[in-house]
Order: sequence, then C-alpha cells, then structure tokens
Amino acid sequence: MVNRLIEPTSGEILIDGQNVLTEDPTQLRRRIGYVIQQVGLFPHRTIGQNVATVPELLGWPDARIRARVDELLSLIGFDPARMRDRYPAQLSGGERQRVGVARAMAAEPPLMLMDEPFGAVDPIVRERLQNEFLQLQRTQGITVIFVTHDIDEAIKLGDRVAIMRAGKLVQFAPPAELLAHPADDFVARFVGSDRGLKRLALLTVGGAELDPPVDPSRLDGAPVLSPAMSLRDALAEMLASEKQVGMVRDGDRYLGVLTLSHIGKILRIEDGQ
Amino acid sequence: MTPGEPLIRWDWIASHLDEIGFRLWEHFELTTIAIVAGLVIAFGLSFVALRAPRLYPPITGVTGILYTIPSLALFAFLVPYTGFTILTAEIGLVSYTLLILIRNIVAGVRGVPAEVREAARGMGYTDRQILWRVELPLALAVIFAGIRVATITTIGLVTVTALIGEGGLGYFILFGIQLFFSTPLLVGAVGSVLFAIVVDGSLVLVQRSLTPWSRVA
Repeated sequence: MVNRLIEPTSGEILIDGQNVLTEDPTQLRRRIGYVIQQVGLFPHRTIGQNVATVPELLGWPDARIRARVDELLSLIGFDPARMRDRYPAQLSGGERQRVGVARAMAAEPPLMLMDEPFGAVDPIVRERLQNEFLQLQRTQGITVIFVTHDIDEAIKLGDRVAIMRAGKLVQFAPPAELLAHPADDFVARFVGSDRGLKRLALLTVGGAELDPPVDPSRLDGAPVLSPAMSLRDALAEMLASEKQVGMVRDGDRYLGVLTLSHIGKILRIEDGQ
Repeated sequence: MTPGEPLIRWDWIASHLDEIGFRLWEHFELTTIAIVAGLVIAFGLSFVALRAPRLYPPITGVTGILYTIPSLALFAFLVPYTGFTILTAEIGLVSYTLLILIRNIVAGVRGVPAEVREAARGMGYTDRQILWRVELPLALAVIFAGIRVATITTIGLVTVTALIGEGGLGYFILFGIQLFFSTPLLVGAVGSVLFAIVVDGSLVLVQRSLTPWSRVA
C-alpha cells in the first residue's frame, strides 16, 4: 500500500510529510526500495543490469550507474568483476536474495519495503543475511518497513515492532518494550514464554547494575565479560562456570561483578512484577 | 513416368540451376513475407488478448477455424476476389501462421513468473515497460518455438501456392507431376525439405543469440 501496488481505501500514508496518493505511482515506486520474498530478479538481465534497474529508469548517466552497481555489489560482499555479468540462474538462493536487496537500494531510496525477504532461505543463510542487513541498514541510514512472520527476526532487526492480528494493529513498540510489556495475551503468546531470555539478548552487560569490584583472586574461574556483550550471552557463560558470576572488564578497566541476582532483578523490574 | 527414364537426370538440374535459384529465392520471399506479416498481426491480436483476456477465446476460435480450412479450398475461394496473385498466396499463408503465433505469444507472456512482474511493478516500471522490457524478452523462447513451427508449416504450404501461379520450389513439383517427369518433382520436394531444415537451424541460432541467459547454469 505504501508504494500503491494496493490502493488504500481510507486514511493517509505520509512519506516525509507528503501523502503518497498525491504522487504518480510510478514515480513514487522509483524512490522506494522494494524487496519481496521470491526476490523476483529479472532472469534475462545480468546481476549488474538487475541492480541498475531503478537508476536506469531514473535516467542516471551510465558512468554513475556503473559506479553505483560496483559499489553495491561490493557492499553485499561480491567481487563486482566476477559477479557483474552473471545471470540470476547462476546464483544460489542466498546470493540472489542479496542481489535483491542491492537492487532495491540502488537509487539510494530514503525508504525500503521488504516483504519477508529472508523467508525462503535456509536458517543458516537467513541468519547471515540478517546480520549483513542489520549492518547495511545501520551504515546506510535507510528507513525500512520489514514484514515478517518470524518474531525473533522482528526483535533482532526492528527498532520498532508492530504486531498485527487479523488486520488490526495490537501493539507498536520497541522490541524490549514488547517483550517486557506485551499489550495482551495474544502478543505475550506470540513473543513466546521465553520472552525474558529474548529480552536479555537485547540488553547489554554495560547497561546492568554491577557489584563493586572485588579482589580478582576471589573470582577464579569466573568468565570475563565485556560491556558490549548481550546479557543473554553473559548469562550463558555465567551458568556454564562454577562461580555463577562474571567479571566485567572494558579492556583493561575492571568495572565490577555481574551476578545472577542482577539479571533476575532486571527481568523482574521490566516485567513490572 | 516414361519407362527407361532415370529417377534423376542430373543434366536437367545442371541446365536449370538459374531457374532453381530463382524459385528458391521466391520460396524464401513468400515465406518471409508470410511470417513477418503473420507476426505483426499476431502480436497485435495477442496484445489485445493479454489486455482483455475475455477476447482470447474468440481470437483463438477464429484463427483456429482459419487454420482448419484446407489450403487448396482457401486458395480456390480467394482466386475470384484477388486473382492469381501473390496477395492470394499471402492471405492464405498468413492465416495459417496466426493460431500458432498467437498461442505462443500469449502463453509466453503469461508464463512470466508472477514475482518477476511484481518486482518490476514495485520498482516503478510502467505497464508498457513491463511488457517490452520484461515480459516479451522472457517470452522470447516460447515465441521462437511458435515462429519455428509456423515457418516450417509455411515453407510446406508455399509449395501448394504453385497452383495459383506462385509456389517457389513448389513450381517444380507441379511441373513434374504434370509432365510425369521425376527430376523436377524431386528437385521441388527435396529442395523444400532441405530449405526448411536450413531455415529452422538458422532460427535456432538466432534465438540462442537473442536469449543468452537461457544458455547459462
């Protein structure tokens, strides 16, 4: 609906304050990146030509298109010289999906729509694509509307998650908020009974309350944790060690001690219980 | 056939090379005109059918009826109106190409994967651009299959137009039958078969060079 492949029946959709209905649909679509689950690469066009699609439609000069194509292919981890002239049929599913993302980003759209883009690839490739995507999105500063049925994907990739049920919006919140305060039973079930653990994956050791440093000799065998580490990973390491505590260090600086009760407290506070 | 006459008299062929060449050229001309005109009409009707799917059954219905009319009867029917002319020959030849061409063009375009079409629309291709830059290129393999069948059929049918004074190599077939003379008959028959094989092979080469993506992976 945002790119008017489906026309809204009521309401408004604003992009940078402009109602999409006031714009020519074709022009509108050319400045919105679009990725679908089945990718839909053009089988008769090379990888380079596929990526160049929207810049060509916008009439960019050839040299600029060529430079942009090579830039994007490098960005998604391809060697431009090797991949540029291949056809989609010569690529694996994961590679095609990456080309799909590159094609959508080609004309530097301020907004991208992604409809279950990683739904059709196997879990290992999906995880890698998600990580790459997260990095791309952060470095490129693009706004993305991302549709998925996978709540873990939504929590991992989203800055804000909207949960829809039977055509109605039931909750719209940052992932940590969603996990801490599900709006209703449906959302609670949807995010899963392990939502506490999921939330720990979003929080870092650096954000947790710590006990003051104690003599390191008393922490023999305890894992060393960095502030950037997620609480979930920290918890896993702590449980695996004998001491059930972690020594938090930022490089050479010894910041304090993290204990299970700190983690438990965080979960209880955010649960509001 | 006269007793004692050999099946092929090579000296007759040698002394008629000019005429064989001329008839071969005529055969090529009649075929090419028929296929080009057939393609123009078939594309027009196919675009109509693709835009308005309701019209597809009547279009194939009418061209299907044309296809079933015996060629001889069709030419006989046309002669009172258009005479013993190339026009009469081409009306018949073109009508026989339409059904095959239209079916393949429509099937080829409809066979384009839905996600490719959706991606094209979502990226801002206009309907016209989708047709010309996405659907038709991807339909090319199926369209070419139709062109090949239509061309082979036409090359065979051209020989029948000998009866209305055209005919290309068919002229020799008619001539041979009328004179009970096997040499020209064989020149006409074998010649048109060889011609068909060469043309078909060339079409395959053309198709390959036009669809490089179908040769990979």
